[in-house]
Amino acid sequence: MVNYTRHPASFKDPAGFVFEADGKFYRQVNQYYAIQYRQLMDSGLYAQLVKNGWLVSHEEINENLTQDPSWYTTILPEPVNYISYPYEWCFAQLKDAALLTLKILRQSLEYGMILKDATPFNIQFHKGRPIFIDTLSFDIYNPQQPWIAYRQFCQCFLFPLYLEHYLKSDIPKILAAYINGIPNDIIAKLLPLKSRLNLGVWLHVYLQNTTMISDKGNKAAAKFSKKKLIDLVSHLENIIRNFPADKSYKTTWSNYYDDTILSRQYVEEKEKIVLEMCGKTGAGSVLDLGANTGHFSKKLAAQGMSVVATDTDSRCINKLYLDTTKNNSLNILPLVVDVANPSPAIGFNNTERAAFHDRIQTELVMALALIHHLVIGRNIPISALAGYFRRIAPQLIIEFVPKQDEKVKQMLSTRPDVFADYDQDHFENAFSAYFTIVDQVKIPGTERILYRMIRK
Amino acid sequence: MTDTILLYVDPGSGSYLIQVIIAAIVGALFYFKNAWLRVKAFFWRPKKEDANENDNVNG
Repeated sequence: MVNYTRHPASFKDPAGFVFEADGKFYRQVNQYYAIQYRQLMDSGLYAQLVKNGWLVSHEEINENLTQDPSWYTTILPEPVNYISYPYEWCFAQLKDAALLTLKILRQSLEYGMILKDATPFNIQFHKGRPIFIDTLSFDIYNPQQPWIAYRQFCQCFLFPLYLEHYLKSDIPKILAAYINGIPNDIIAKLLPLKSRLNLGVWLHVYLQNTTMISDKGNKAAAKFSKKKLIDLVSHLENIIRNFPADKSYKTTWSNYYDDTILSRQYVEEKEKIVLEMCGKTGAGSVLDLGANTGHFSKKLAAQGMSVVATDTDSRCINKLYLDTTKNNSLNILPLVVDVANPSPAIGFNNTERAAFHDRIQTELVMALALIHHLVIGRNIPISALAGYFRRIAPQLIIEFVPKQDEKVKQMLSTRPDVFADYDQDHFENAFSAYFTIVDQVKIPGTERILYRMIRK
Repeated sequence: MTDTILLYVDPGSGSYLIQVIIAAIVGALFYFKNAWLRVKAFFWRPKKEDANENDNVNG
């Protein structure tokens, strides 16, 4: 037997579990799931899904590593670089994950199988695309039965998409509060009145809510068929596909970024310095905090780095995600993360879903034009920030934006200047406590300084 | 309060009836849509033979 740790999120399904041994993530398949697993593998469904790039591929390890008596087989799935969760995704990511779930369901039906659950936690973004990672989610299909995961699909995918679509605000975030999806009665109260005119909303939200209240375990009478299920799936697909991923948001998001873009010359100079510094770090992976629409992330990805690009503004991340899918930039993972409040550890025992920085670790962290937003915008002392970066960054590229800078002046014009410590000296002192400053370059034409640091 | 009780309902079990209803409504819609597309194809594009394969039409 090897030393192994069972993954804290892998406790719901008796079909098997994920465990870590020797730094690798394995998935044990239990006897309980043997028939379904064989059908998945022997029917050709697995091969087809892997060929489509929809399901994570795996290698079968015919060895009972855990010495568990319920063992049937062990699989070693292809590793996924970064684990992200739906409350860190933008609208277009959640939409793509929803469509992938439906595509897999449709494909499964052709091979006599069905998805027994439909949660976004079964999906990860890998090499720029959503991919299904739960190999044990497939069940034998019984055409007389409706889809057991229909309500879960609605609560986890359709309802948040509807909310964002109608309210035009950043909704996936609230999935951190509703880890099992937004309950039907809540979305029925949140959606605006005009949404009732939409057939999809009327059926899946309001009618479902009404039948839930009146439904007294009356499932015996329900007869179903494959055609009916395919109609239902097609309907869901049409609704989700027709959500504009970008278009309708342009009006609300208009000119948002034009304000933040400084002169072209500044960007070009900064780009040169950042790329040179990055080259010196020798890092293969970078976490870009406050990436905006990913101008620098894209440059680093083009150099072959694996990039996690985060911003607190879901509109930026949505734009970047659409950009990466359009241009096939496979090594950027855009995520909606607030640096002053990164996703915490949540779920059962507070271990089911790990905290953001425990999941996403990179060799380099980059924080360009960010520090003034944290110190002045969020009242975080420089010394506290230095401690934070020490925890997350083996190497750091950080831009200091002093008080003389136009952007900082703007910020200070609306609040009292209680930031006596906010200057270059205090910044360097605070960071020197934890880092060795190896490079520092002033961006020509500005008061801003770029630093490259290595953790002590 | 019915609302609080509902939170304890298994996500799958209560959704059977609604799926039967939705599938019936959606099935009827797709039926009429396909019929309409066939009529349209007959009049406007009589040569196109794959018109009745439009199961996945948008809408």
